[in-house]
Amino acid sequence: MSATPLAVTFGSPIWLLALLAVPLALLALWASRRRATRYAIRFPAAATLAVAAGATSAWRRFVPAGLALAAIAALALALAKPQHTIAVPVAGASVVLVTDHSGSMSATDVEPDRLSAAEEAATTFLDQLPKATRVGVVTYSDGPDASRSPTLDRDIIKQTLDSQTAAGATATGEALQVALGSLAPNGKAAARPVSAIVLLSDGTTTTGRDPVEVARTAKRLKIPIYTVSLGTADATIPNPLSPLSPPIAVPPDPETLKQIADISGGRAFTSDDAGQLRGIYKSLGSRLATKHEEKEVTSTFAIGGLVLLLAAGLLSLPRVGRLP
Amino acid sequence: MTPSGPQPPLAPPAARQGPGPMPHALLDALALAVTRRVAGALPGDRRAAGVGAGTELAQLRPYAFGDDVRRIDAAATARSGEPHVRLEVPERTLTTWIAVDVSASMAFGTAQRLKADVAEGVALALGRLALRHAGRVGVMTFGAGEPRLLPPRGSKAGLVALRRALADGVGVDGHHAPDALADALGRIGRVARQPGLIVVISDFREQHHWTRALGSLRARHAVLAVEVHDPRESSLPPVGRIAVVDPETGKRLEVDTSRPRIRERFEALEAERRETLARELRRLRVDHAPLSTDEDWLLHLGRRLR
Repeated sequence: MSATPLAVTFGSPIWLLALLAVPLALLALWASRRRATRYAIRFPAAATLAVAAGATSAWRRFVPAGLALAAIAALALALAKPQHTIAVPVAGASVVLVTDHSGSMSATDVEPDRLSAAEEAATTFLDQLPKATRVGVVTYSDGPDASRSPTLDRDIIKQTLDSQTAAGATATGEALQVALGSLAPNGKAAARPVSAIVLLSDGTTTTGRDPVEVARTAKRLKIPIYTVSLGTADATIPNPLSPLSPPIAVPPDPETLKQIADISGGRAFTSDDAGQLRGIYKSLGSRLATKHEEKEVTSTFAIGGLVLLLAAGLLSLPRVGRLP
Repeated sequence: MTPSGPQPPLAPPAARQGPGPMPHALLDALALAVTRRVAGALPGDRRAAGVGAGTELAQLRPYAFGDDVRRIDAAATARSGEPHVRLEVPERTLTTWIAVDVSASMAFGTAQRLKADVAEGVALALGRLALRHAGRVGVMTFGAGEPRLLPPRGSKAGLVALRRALADGVGVDGHHAPDALADALGRIGRVARQPGLIVVISDFREQHHWTRALGSLRARHAVLAVEVHDPRESSLPPVGRIAVVDPETGKRLEVDTSRPRIRERFEALEAERRETLARELRRLRVDHAPLSTDEDWLLHLGRRLR
């Protein structure tokens, strides 16, 4: 289960006023130490006694007090019913990876080359996704060639991703259509678990239908398309026709991809190196197919406060005979 | 002598018990002991320089103008046919200096009386003895601000001065003078020209560099060091955590007295301190009379001096 801690909110923030107990306790501590010294016993042999008692380390004097104050703070926070917003996986969520393996993916502007980086990043993505999320895959070049409908079996997906070879044209629209088909077989948006498409492409659509049109369909089906544009603007690949011909420029097409993402309600990312790509996939993996839920963590704070109190007592009771 | 500079106020301690009864029989016994101790400084043992009023013949000389006619020796005048006067060995009286510690740490006592009460009793007892046989008593109080010195006086005047000096009480808390004892002894050494008895009554606590001053006093005078202490100063009962404050330095301290290690170390340190003091006094060949607040101090003083 992938749970990203996001924030702590409070169920009854009025009880945060109980935090005032911390300065009050500090004041009480100070007053009690003052009182203890004000009613000190006159003792002419105090200097000898000081030598006999040895120096009290600052550690002994301040750590138990600090622990007790921390315990009070934690208990005061527990009163305010702290809630932890966490991401929980959505049962039955499906994600389809749409991966480009056109000829331009052999460009080496991304270490080691675009396709390998994309495969590696996709593997990271799969690891980040909650276990309960179904994952499908559509790889395409001249057209969608390998397609797996969403499944829980990660190995099949990885095999499919690994079997790609960089060749052919870029049929982004067709591939997206196949992906939509696998997520919404009957073309309806109703009563369908959360789904998303993650599109990785490195170039302009060269064949097949217009991906922007497919994005509108996705919008209607309420399936967001997250797009990742891979590659640098001045990347080239050797001309497949003849090594003597000038190399072919294979710049990515971030504008179209951004358009697709905007229309369908997803987000567009651009990446020009493998590390960045992995980062994007990692954050997508922990974000997709999860929803944020507020979970009450009062007991954690209460237990933490009691543990701190116990620690303060154990440190100070045997020596001082009282809580600090 | 008028004190110079601002004096920290002296006050009789709140828990003052008084020195207790001083039976005459005990005082008389003590007188014997003291006399024996200071015999070296008394007339008879040591011839005084010069001539003066006395009973022992020093010389006969012809009468000169200005001589007291009552001193004319009839027999010598008759034999020689010339008026002769009789001059006698001056009869020295014993001058006793009593140096009393009035520092704030003396206002402490957990047994029958305060250390200050014992010091007062010792000063009074020895003062009364000193005033016998036309002796004179000088008083010096130290430990609270400028030492106060009352010049030697005889008879009732000396006793009154002593009583008044002692009635002022001891210094209030928060004043620490680590060199007070050394200064007081040095001052007595400068003003006490004739050999006499010097009694130092103190707890000898937190005082520095006094051995040299005491040693130089010992060269001319008979010196008696009366150490006053309280049983609580040498051992602590296990009473849990207590906060203590040094009456002189004002240093505060929180100690867990239920820990045997602390109590044992404290006892060892205090025993070592007192042992060092006793050794130091023995080295200077000064009579050492340790008195405790939980016993009959007069009896013990007599026993120590016998």
